[in-house]
Amino acid sequence: MRAETLLIRLGKAVAVAAILFWSLFPIVFIVTSSLKPGQDIFAVPPQWTFQPTLQHYVTLWTQWGVFFRGLWNSAVVTVGATLLAVIASTCAGYVFSRHAARWLELSIVGLIAVRLIPPIVVTLPLFPIVNRLGLSDTHLVLIILYATFFVSMGTVLMRTFIDQIPRDLDEAAAIDGASRLTILRRVIVPLAAPGILAVAVFVVVFAWNEFLFAFIFTGTNAKTAPLVISEMIGSIDGVDWGVLFAASTVQLAPVLAFVILMNRYLVAGLTAGATKG
Amino acid sequence: MKTLQTNRRGFLAGATATLALIAAAPSLAAGKTLNILSHRVHQTSLGEGEADLMAAWKQANDADLAFTTFDSNPLMDRLFREASLPETEFGVGYLVDNRPTSEIAKLFEPLDYWMEKDAIADFDDIAPGLIKGMTIDGKLIGIPVRTATQALFCNLDLLEQAGFSAPPATLEELVAQAQKITDDKIATGMILASDLAVFPVMFARAFGGDFLTPDFKLLPDAAAMEQALTVLAGMFANGALPRSYATTKNDDQVTWMQQGRAAFTVLPFARAAQLNDPEQSKFSGRITAVGFPVAEALAGKTPMATVVEAWAMVIPTNAKDKELAWSYIKQVASPETTLGMALNGNGPARVSTFSDPKLVEKNPLAAIEAEALANGRGAFPPFPEAARAQALFLEEVQLAVLGRKSPAEAVEAIAARVAPLLP
Repeated sequence: MRAETLLIRLGKAVAVAAILFWSLFPIVFIVTSSLKPGQDIFAVPPQWTFQPTLQHYVTLWTQWGVFFRGLWNSAVVTVGATLLAVIASTCAGYVFSRHAARWLELSIVGLIAVRLIPPIVVTLPLFPIVNRLGLSDTHLVLIILYATFFVSMGTVLMRTFIDQIPRDLDEAAAIDGASRLTILRRVIVPLAAPGILAVAVFVVVFAWNEFLFAFIFTGTNAKTAPLVISEMIGSIDGVDWGVLFAASTVQLAPVLAFVILMNRYLVAGLTAGATKG
Repeated sequence: MKTLQTNRRGFLAGATATLALIAAAPSLAAGKTLNILSHRVHQTSLGEGEADLMAAWKQANDADLAFTTFDSNPLMDRLFREASLPETEFGVGYLVDNRPTSEIAKLFEPLDYWMEKDAIADFDDIAPGLIKGMTIDGKLIGIPVRTATQALFCNLDLLEQAGFSAPPATLEELVAQAQKITDDKIATGMILASDLAVFPVMFARAFGGDFLTPDFKLLPDAAAMEQALTVLAGMFANGALPRSYATTKNDDQVTWMQQGRAAFTVLPFARAAQLNDPEQSKFSGRITAVGFPVAEALAGKTPMATVVEAWAMVIPTNAKDKELAWSYIKQVASPETTLGMALNGNGPARVSTFSDPKLVEKNPLAAIEAEALANGRGAFPPFPEAARAQALFLEEVQLAVLGRKSPAEAVEAIAARVAPLLP
């Protein structure tokens, strides 16, 4: 019995170690490679000890100014898309939670169906439309697209959160004369904050790293950082791996920090409604 | 449950800040702007700041240049999409020479009219083969601006360790040197990417054959292609190509050469700088390039038809300011700008540029490159099913190299599978 328990524990430890290795190895590899001298990055056998250098970051700064402009664009689009998606999801989640009607149930199926459509199917037909509207290469088009893509999942998540808030609170506020908007703003939003943050985390991670929409709909003004990184993997003039890894590290750092900070809300978001009933 | 306090003032402040963030996005300079779709290398070769080769043109035309850059395949995708719209903001695009089919050529302005109206200086100096590649259905649609000529790169240190004092002069010598370096456990003899048609085509041409000629003759000399595949299969079987050949990519060629893991590879001449970059390479200054050698039987009789990739500048038919676009093209294609770009590492499209003393002094490989370019041509001509044809060709080549099929069977299969795709 004891040996069996030990075996199970050992199995769990091996599984956890494997998952950790699987998840962390690419990050560790990227970060350490960004600090290695260029000659050592792909040395065989691998160089585990090396003299760290910031040369690749200096080169990134001096030769790839467009990357930092891309980071700015990524930040603008991410903030805009997150705000839009969170506001829309919260409002929609409130309606779905507090009102029951057959058409509402049908519409939520429609929302989920939209989420199932592969992005490439909508991007190419959208290209001439976006151009016609004069939205090509603007931040706005990406903000709208990213938010649209996440409103469905955000709405479902927010409905689950808001379902957990007792209706009595709404009714008490209504008796005190609060309008629906006031109830949403003063009662629901503060209590559903973990859900809002969970939705925000999903949108931030998606918008910060997204490539396809940005590739199709931007060029110069709204070009995001992932597009610039993809350009570094150039097929004509070769790859400067150190600079590429430095850019990847800079791109990774803010979103990683944000996800770590918001981790507990993310878990709350994923398990919302799991114990309902 | 945690609560989040919000009020009207906070909400308004947040919304205003977001709008300000969006509005504060960097904007381009006002006035006349020529939007250009290109690879980054086309932009950087024009220089910037005080070394901006287009500074005088900008001043004379009161115009600014706005480059939108992508890597090769995404660039072609975007260029064709933009050119398919009723109107595009892009005045000039950079087109690679293996793409313009008759259908694609219709997306771009015929340039003969512009040549008659305001000709490019010393136009005949631009390599005639490159001009031919950009003449589709009798119309000139692009002005060649960049060439990438394939070379045989060798690590001189590894050659010396194996007792060789000079790079190979024939294909047989190349195979022998690669094999000895492998057998002596100095390094892997040669590294080639398995997903590019360039390499089997080069080996076939070294035996006087080809995959597809410019006039669409498939396997004009099947025996030569069979010889090429036999050589490659032999190198793989004997360890002179890496065991990871099936998954080897173009970037592996560079890193293996920089690390001294392979003695030979085939890459464009322009990669010499990267292979010898002291910050990246362990063999800086010791990796040289020569023209890819022909087989002994052809040596001194038939010159090697090296694979050359060329880029040209085109004007989409739906561009707004074609006058400005042509003015840019004319300036970039001029002898002085061509030289300036060549000094910045661009493979010139003008023959005379290779012998310019300034370039010869800066790039010792210029003369060798010029010689290789003189007889070079694309890996295969453009046609609508080119991508599928290349995929089928590579599939059969890989089967032969890995020993899953005999070279003869592979050649037979290439003929049978690719023929229906030809125009």
